[in-house]
Amino acid sequence: MVAAAVVLAFGPLVLPSFYVRVGQLMLYSAGLGVAWAILGGFAGYASFGHAAFIGVGAFAAGLAESYFPNLPTPLLLPLGLVVGGTCCAILSAVIAYPILRLRGTFFAIAMLGVSHVCAEVTNNVDFFQGSLGLNFPPIAPASMDPAIFFYELYLVAGLAVLLIAWKIRYSRFGAGLLSIREDEDTARMLGVPTERYKRLAFVVSAVLTGLLGVIYGHSLGYITTESVYRDDTNLSLIVYSLLGGMGTLYGPVIGAFSLVFVTQVILGRLLDFHLFATGLMLVLLILLAPGGVLGLLKRRAA
Amino acid sequence: MRRRDVLRTVGAAALAAPAVRSAQAQAKTLVFGGSVPLTGAAAETGLNVNNGYITAVSYLNDKLGGVEIAGEKYKLELKLFDDASDPARATTLIQRQIDDGTNFFLGSFGSNIVLPTAAITERAKKPMVQTGGGSDAIFTKGYKYVFGMYPRATRQFASTAALFKTLTPTPTTYSVIWTNDAFSKTAGEGVKLSCDAAGFKRLDAFELPAKPTDVSSVLGSVRANSPDLLVCVMHDQDSLLIARQMVASNTYVKLLFQGLGPQLASFREALGKYSEALLCSTYWDESVPYKDKFFGDSRKFAEYYRSKITRPIAYHTAGAAACIETYILAMQAAKSTNPEAVREALAVADYETFYSRIKFTPDGDGDPIIMGSMIGQVQKSKLEIVYPEAASSAKAIYPQPAWDKKA
Amino acid sequence: MNLIAQTLADGLVLGGIYALAAVGFSLIFGVLHVINLSHGILVLMGAYLALILSTALRIDPLLTMPLVMIGLFCVGYVYQRFLIQRAVDRASVNSMLLTFGVALMLQNAMIWLFSPDMKSITPSYAFASFKLGPVNFDAVRVSALAASLVLLSLLALFLKFSPLGRVIRATAQQTMAAQLCGVNVRHVYALTFAVSAAFAGAAGIVIGIILPFSPADEGNWTLNAFVVVVLGGVGSPAGALIGGLLLGIVNTLTAQYVGPAFPNVTMFLLLVLLLLVRPHGLLGNAFAASR
Repeated sequence: MVAAAVVLAFGPLVLPSFYVRVGQLMLYSAGLGVAWAILGGFAGYASFGHAAFIGVGAFAAGLAESYFPNLPTPLLLPLGLVVGGTCCAILSAVIAYPILRLRGTFFAIAMLGVSHVCAEVTNNVDFFQGSLGLNFPPIAPASMDPAIFFYELYLVAGLAVLLIAWKIRYSRFGAGLLSIREDEDTARMLGVPTERYKRLAFVVSAVLTGLLGVIYGHSLGYITTESVYRDDTNLSLIVYSLLGGMGTLYGPVIGAFSLVFVTQVILGRLLDFHLFATGLMLVLLILLAPGGVLGLLKRRAA
Repeated sequence: MRRRDVLRTVGAAALAAPAVRSAQAQAKTLVFGGSVPLTGAAAETGLNVNNGYITAVSYLNDKLGGVEIAGEKYKLELKLFDDASDPARATTLIQRQIDDGTNFFLGSFGSNIVLPTAAITERAKKPMVQTGGGSDAIFTKGYKYVFGMYPRATRQFASTAALFKTLTPTPTTYSVIWTNDAFSKTAGEGVKLSCDAAGFKRLDAFELPAKPTDVSSVLGSVRANSPDLLVCVMHDQDSLLIARQMVASNTYVKLLFQGLGPQLASFREALGKYSEALLCSTYWDESVPYKDKFFGDSRKFAEYYRSKITRPIAYHTAGAAACIETYILAMQAAKSTNPEAVREALAVADYETFYSRIKFTPDGDGDPIIMGSMIGQVQKSKLEIVYPEAASSAKAIYPQPAWDKKA
Repeated sequence: MNLIAQTLADGLVLGGIYALAAVGFSLIFGVLHVINLSHGILVLMGAYLALILSTALRIDPLLTMPLVMIGLFCVGYVYQRFLIQRAVDRASVNSMLLTFGVALMLQNAMIWLFSPDMKSITPSYAFASFKLGPVNFDAVRVSALAASLVLLSLLALFLKFSPLGRVIRATAQQTMAAQLCGVNVRHVYALTFAVSAAFAGAAGIVIGIILPFSPADEGNWTLNAFVVVVLGGVGSPAGALIGGLLLGIVNTLTAQYVGPAFPNVTMFLLLVLLLLVRPHGLLGNAFAASR
């Protein structure tokens, strides 16, 4: 993994800007996918509304930064990250109690509802400037190409998320989450503190997603409600795990890389086909390889 | 399915371009890049804009055999992609075009896509001429390479307010409704600014959700307060909903202005006789009297368009074609296809085209008077221009007849 | 007093339409335990079919209902039997993703066939209205409501009294037992989906005459269906009706007294709150096995 990280870090120096941008999207999506999987893959609580945290993180950061226009540039991003992360932590901690009482599809729908409530509030309450749009101050150093700056930023962030997920996965906490996925009631009977673990996973997942959202907002420079609260993002997060292998650590990474590559590089050339092609891919994926890429590999090895 | 055929042909031509280029050593190619929303929320207008680009390019290439700039012959080529109304997709793919060496860009539709993509072209110092983003945010960032065919959103209503003042008997009160999206909201602000400045009293300002399904409560308030003028700033789907519910609930105002709606044939057809006397803004109509170096005049442009494409023409189509024409005129004035030189020429542009006289403010948006909107009114199922006088084809009907009196 | 009466009346009328638009979704969720994210697309298919048929045959759009329903019935059967069933055999979240994929494909197809422009169906009485006491009623909406109520009642009767209806209910309540009794569960599932698709199509016609529509709207109708089902309960037309009416009234009351921009916020807040408090909806799951 270290070798891969080093290779990725040097990518932008040799690749043309377009591929650097695709790389940005890949790393961003992979980070989101892994953050989602902490709750959805490990614990089995598939949230259909994680875009809520992307949006909350991005808007919180953007608004906070607009209140301090004279802050020196290197402090802007940390401010945004702190504010965005905190808001996501508070939001997720508050809703964790009631919402984690739901299971399966009800949980999924409830999270979708949360995502839409956040989107609507952002859009309709003037304070959030969701409909007019929010501007982000530029944070890339003047000497650097912003595309490369954000690429490296996403790389660092993505690695951080992966590292956290990895630590969780191989810890007692992670084992507890997996047991929740397998059979929650039995796990509780056996003494696993299921409620506490679920809430912790929920908050961690939300905060990591929010932090990535803050970076995304900066990379776009100007966001409206539709830029971040997207239902297709909500769905993609699930698809990454599905494609790569639901419940695994690297599955979402593989899924994210593949899907972004296909939709941006290959389908980017098809003028009015891409919705159809994406849908078709999804359908074929479900029918032929529900265990994802890693599932296929496992089957091959077995 | 002619649109698809035209698109396929252009697509195939674009892919075959390298081969063709080597075969045609004499004519050079001028590439225009950018994105249009062909799927997603903005697809309806995106399609009109795309058709405009295609029409201009095919006319200049096929009918005129290419354009001449500084003594050399050029053929035009469009390299556009579908951004699906998604800013992430638009920004990534536009970067690819910059990497591929595209020098000149056309804009997408929708300020939330135009802004991030404009940031990229600006940084790469490539001009963008767009007919899709009117939000003030685009023109207040100090960009030097971005030019828009519309005045910024807050100034777009100036000409309409001026029309209102010429009506007799002079109206005194108005109410405004807008939907909650980046364009309609800023345009709504523009309405308030212009109408208040013109001396009209504002009774109400209503904000609807981005996709309303029922406006009965708003109309109830309109009936209660009876403004002389009701101004709606929203997309055509929502305009139609309001109009229909107004008829059904017998909500009468002396003048109903719907920014987007009555210009479209499908809207007038759906409302039938009730569309009589409705006003809308339009930036172009085939009857405008401008002369054009390439197309001759507006009627000839419309005719050529109809010979190629079956979809009814809309003003966005003309605006889009004008973007390409503006580029060519600027290149001819600069006698160069160097991006910097072209940008200089665009900044001081003052051209007459079939679409309108083209002149930009120092910030890059369209001059509010010269490129401002005209006002159209539906009269006997046709869209007539009623303002400004110079371009008008009929006199404004005010006040409008009651709903049940409309023939 | 008048304003409240008018607002409530508007809400009820809107609600009846929401109910019809959601009942198909509710049935599929209750019987097959599938979340059909292509529901909105089926509704739009109904609208477009009605548009084509009513212009071609020059009849009132509501009269195209039988044809549209039959057409969508067949489509639904094939869709479920040969596509969705395969996915469901694996895991339930797969059905959501599969139906989403199909929705994307069909949306693209609709854009090719019909262009992304908005279309509307304008029946001859599109602009008429009448008064009942102090309350104004929009003729189109009222006829849409009437159609909805008729169809919902028919569905309720069908489920309760017809042999097929009983089989569907039995399969939903106790799948294993039904199988042991010789019910071809796959066939029943497919028939249920077919019925649901037919009703989605009928809803499309009703929606098509009151609102302008375009392919990009499909997500809204799926989302609306979610909310109605959560509010009213799964699997029964009565539940869909209660949920729909509640949603309609909440919508108009919020628009009138909080602000026209806020109905959606309230709708989703209600969704989340109800999921927390009573996830099976006001009428509960019509097919829940008695414990």
